[in-house]
Amino acid sequence: MASRDVVHYDTPLQRVLRVLAVIFVVLYLIWTLLPFVIMFVSSFKDLLAAFKLPEVGDWMGIGVFFDFTPTYKHYATLFQENNFGRYIMNSLIAAGGSAVISVIFGSLAAYSLSRVDFRGKSDLFFWIISTRMAPVVAVMVPLFAIFRSLDLVGTLPGLILAYTTFNLPFAIWILKGFFDNVPYGIEEAQMVDGATRFQAFTSILPLVAPGIGAFIVLCVLFAWNDFLFAAIIGSGGAKTLPVATRELVQPQNIQWGAIMAAGVVTTAPMMLLGLVIRKYLVTGLTMGAVKE
Amino acid sequence: MATVTIRNVWKYYNQTPAVKDLNLTCPDGSFVSILGPSGCGKSSTMRMLAGLEHISAGDILFDDVRINDLAPKDRDVAMVFENYALYPHKTVFENIANPLRLRKASEATIKDRVNGAAKLLEISHLLDRRPSELSGGQKQRVAIGRAIVREPKLFLFDEPIAHLDAKLRAHMRGEIKHLQKTLGTTMIYVTHDQLEALSMADYIAVMHDGELQQWGTPSEIFNHPVNAWVAGFVGEPAMNFVTAEIRGGGDGVTLKHANFEIPLLASQVGKLNGAAQAGTARMGVRPDALTISMTRPDGPAITGVIFVNELLGGDMLVEVQLQDVRMRVKTSTDFAGKPGETCWLTVNREKWHVFDAGDGHAYF
Amino acid sequence: MSQTLSLSQTTLDAVDRFRARKVSVEVEARPLSAELPTPTSFNPAARKAYYFYLMAPAIALLAFISLYPFFWLIVMAFQKGDMGAVEWVGFKNFTDLASDGRFLSGWVLLFKYSAMCLFLQVGIGVLLAVIVNGSRYEKFLVTALLMPMMMAPAVAGLLWLFLYNGTFGWYHWIFQSLGILETGSILSSAKTSMYALVLVDVWQWTPLITLIALAGLKRVPRDQMEANMVDGASPARNFFAIVMPNLYPVLLIAVLLRFMDNFRFIDHILVLTGGGPANSTKILPIYLFEVAFKFFDLGRGAAIALVLLVVTIILGKILVGVFDRPTSGGR
Repeated sequence: MASRDVVHYDTPLQRVLRVLAVIFVVLYLIWTLLPFVIMFVSSFKDLLAAFKLPEVGDWMGIGVFFDFTPTYKHYATLFQENNFGRYIMNSLIAAGGSAVISVIFGSLAAYSLSRVDFRGKSDLFFWIISTRMAPVVAVMVPLFAIFRSLDLVGTLPGLILAYTTFNLPFAIWILKGFFDNVPYGIEEAQMVDGATRFQAFTSILPLVAPGIGAFIVLCVLFAWNDFLFAAIIGSGGAKTLPVATRELVQPQNIQWGAIMAAGVVTTAPMMLLGLVIRKYLVTGLTMGAVKE
Repeated sequence: MATVTIRNVWKYYNQTPAVKDLNLTCPDGSFVSILGPSGCGKSSTMRMLAGLEHISAGDILFDDVRINDLAPKDRDVAMVFENYALYPHKTVFENIANPLRLRKASEATIKDRVNGAAKLLEISHLLDRRPSELSGGQKQRVAIGRAIVREPKLFLFDEPIAHLDAKLRAHMRGEIKHLQKTLGTTMIYVTHDQLEALSMADYIAVMHDGELQQWGTPSEIFNHPVNAWVAGFVGEPAMNFVTAEIRGGGDGVTLKHANFEIPLLASQVGKLNGAAQAGTARMGVRPDALTISMTRPDGPAITGVIFVNELLGGDMLVEVQLQDVRMRVKTSTDFAGKPGETCWLTVNREKWHVFDAGDGHAYF
Repeated sequence: MSQTLSLSQTTLDAVDRFRARKVSVEVEARPLSAELPTPTSFNPAARKAYYFYLMAPAIALLAFISLYPFFWLIVMAFQKGDMGAVEWVGFKNFTDLASDGRFLSGWVLLFKYSAMCLFLQVGIGVLLAVIVNGSRYEKFLVTALLMPMMMAPAVAGLLWLFLYNGTFGWYHWIFQSLGILETGSILSSAKTSMYALVLVDVWQWTPLITLIALAGLKRVPRDQMEANMVDGASPARNFFAIVMPNLYPVLLIAVLLRFMDNFRFIDHILVLTGGGPANSTKILPIYLFEVAFKFFDLGRGAAIALVLLVVTIILGKILVGVFDRPTSGGR
């Protein structure tokens, strides 16, 4: 579609509109990107430099923003004093563990749901999807009570299990969409060729591999960025990056430089991952309802 | 190599029967075509043979062994699917080798057999490609290669050439037939194209509405259809049907219509059993069993008015308007009649058919 | 034909019924309307169990982490106290809610917050999508727009806490320079704190609406637009007649999803205001968080959570209904 030329017949009004559109997009881009720029630059600023602002209304004074000598001390603080290496590991284990569990169990279930029909299937489906849509705080109330009695609060396994409450239904829902796109004929051909049913299933896995890969990233994204579960179920022993970052806010001493550095550390990997699965992002974030 | 027997087989999808009381025996080494329009139950039959669908009732036997409960992999059949069902992420070589790998053949055997199959199908130069890089005809050959590499008991071909263009289809018909004769394996070939069935098969099973209509050799099916439905389905251009009245008795029976009155041949009179002696029947004549002339011929003939002439390459098809129907006649291209002119059609009575007006079964 | 089979004679007869004789012109006919026998016995039913075995582990795990807690939640909602010292209180937790001003204002604030967010996000998001769609820089723009969505909401909250800061926040300075804000941070006044939250949500999630709308725009059938243009429609007319009806279903999904997200995710609010100042941003999920995890009144919290869940399930039912519509692009 994009390759086809679109014929334009310009009226003066349309020309004005186009200029307005460009201005709008530029302003929106500034609005979107400015916080990132400030975060990134401030993470290299000395505290005093970070607090420097021009006089109110002095638009020409914006230059003070760039008036500083870069320092890496905030990053050093994070890793040397605040144990961020450990929190990164926690984040990785919690996010990766729940993603792997969800993908293994989820792809088996999604495959079966895609291939078999039975009474009550749509109800089962609705239950699965509503689990994913439930408000995090509401789910957490009973989950916290249960996990506390099982001594899972404050442990990584507990946190992994907690993320799985959301990632597993998500996996079943999204992966079923991918399996639906694989023609059943391929498995049938495999079975006639001499494969068992399970071999037929594994033989189509390479076809859904890109989808599974994208889904793992989405799971990781969800768990990595989560704050509520980590703050309550993971508090203490299984602190993840967002919680650790939040803890830099202390009543008497808010370490803004370190917070900005932690923000960069937390956000940068997810941005890269987001770009990698760009194609599946909309599908993933809308639970498969909208496809690109 | 196997004799395939289908015995009182039914297929139900919920409450809807798709195959009804099917009985067939496909002799060892024969090429059997199951012919019918879409939804006639032919694909369900094939899928039951492959083990991809449950057999609701009845039995299927390969060489006297009941295979109802065997998994597809244990039936030793090979199948070519309508949409080829190639594995998109594997090369042509790996696609063809797949059944051997699943049976844990040695690497040397695999290499040997795949190359042999590829040579037979003339796709040796494509072995390193992936299915997405192949044309329809090539994909089709790969699918066949996957089927023949293993020398199974039975080949199942499910409309394998339906998606190819007309020219390639004609070419592949000859190749598949040749291949089957070379390998000598029993083949069941499902198609909705009567030309494919007539040109390739040793035996044809015509199905309609889940029921077997007729089983026979191509010439039996074509020349002696058992009922009006088979007669109408097989043959292109299709058979002409005219409802006419049966007149007279004893030896002098005629078919009477507003446009003609033609006596039956003496040998045919006896085949009209008593019940049909008086009443209506459906006359069926293929377009090539009719001769058209612009002058009244000797003997009985059908009077009509030319409706339109269609040139079909080497032949001319003339549509002739009778009082209630139009008949199509095949003639040579030098035919000089013009639309609107009166013409006469002589029937080759050795090749005509009379069907019951009610249930459509053939008297002859 | 070489018959080497030892089949019963009745079977062979049955096979013969349909066979035309070879030489003779005589034909044994099968009438189309002939009565068929019904099958006398059925084979055992096809097995589906295999698929259920594959499904079982996931369903079991899901039952443990979602169904079991759900029943726990119901039980907790009828109890008071915590750990060991529980006491059954019947519907008291629910009846208390009716007279709980925070609970009621939580709903009001939640809807107010959602309405503002959705209005801005849909408006700006669709406008952006229409402009960006087909632009030469579409790829770059979409990539740039993606960035806020990738940030952890809690981190986004902290970042904006910094930007809004009343003494050194750059956005605070911008607001003041523009004359929007007098003195004091936007977060410190009950009048403006809600807007501060809306701004953050708009910053982070408008791009999602844009992406969804873009996906919808790509699906607008070009032939319809062209036919309409040839028929003499202006671009504006074209937009409302052809584009909007195609966009509507995906936007409905987007709005529902975002609305439910406002129930689900409160990370940035917890970080930015924690419900304050003066409860001006204490939307219901925040109130629930406070009741359950600050005051550890789990019974009351469970009651609130149950109400919240029921509302979400209703919303979910609507959403799934929209998914299933053929026009939405779902299956």
